[in-house]
Amino acid sequence: MLALTRKVGERLVIDDNIIITIVDTKGENIRLAIEAPKEIKIYRGELYDAIVAENKQAATPAQDGILDVLKDIKARKP
Amino acid sequence: MLIRSVRFGEIEVPEDSQIHFPHGLPGFPKEREFAYLPSAPDNPFAFLQSLAEPNLTFIVVDPFAFFQDYKFTLDDQLVSELGLTDANPPHIISIVSVPANSEEMTANLLAPVIINTQSRIAIQMVLEKTPYTTRHRLFPNGFDKQPGKGGK
Repeated sequence: MLALTRKVGERLVIDDNIIITIVDTKGENIRLAIEAPKEIKIYRGELYDAIVAENKQAATPAQDGILDVLKDIKARKP
Repeated sequence: MLIRSVRFGEIEVPEDSQIHFPHGLPGFPKEREFAYLPSAPDNPFAFLQSLAEPNLTFIVVDPFAFFQDYKFTLDDQLVSELGLTDANPPHIISIVSVPANSEEMTANLLAPVIINTQSRIAIQMVLEKTPYTTRHRLFPNGFDKQPGKGGK
């Protein structure tokens, strides 16, 4: 892992097409501006972790009977 | 194509049921090809079966069948990346987690799956600034209150 120290207004350039600018710091908070191609997905780490955890939970096979349970459920009328 | 699924056995999946996730899904970045398998007619549940991994099947649900007020905004980048238009609106599904007690199953409303049904490309997006969470119970009162299904 690379660790760098930067000042407000300074930038990091990653792989020619991602630019991270340190915009401001206030106490514990650091404000970053990120310019990246639109296909690069950017998430807050804790939010991403929550989605990963939920997807992994959802992917663990439920008990065998779940298909029968779901089969009997009809859409609710709005 | 013929695919293998631990849950469903060997099944023939027509090309128009195959969905490409260019980014994979969070936690499954390499899983990019899935089959969308509806359950019975009028049933809001369906399955996303990985084409590469027989043992990876997500249960998904039409969120609007359970949460009529569910709404969020698709950001412009996602709309453009998926190639959505007014004439080609997305199909939206939510991934379901089923715990040991299946009545407590939950839908992930924080990270809906957005599908372009024409190009069959999909992205699981993570909503920003939203009250929704990864776990909304589908049957807060248990299965008995479901219309069309009597108590046991």
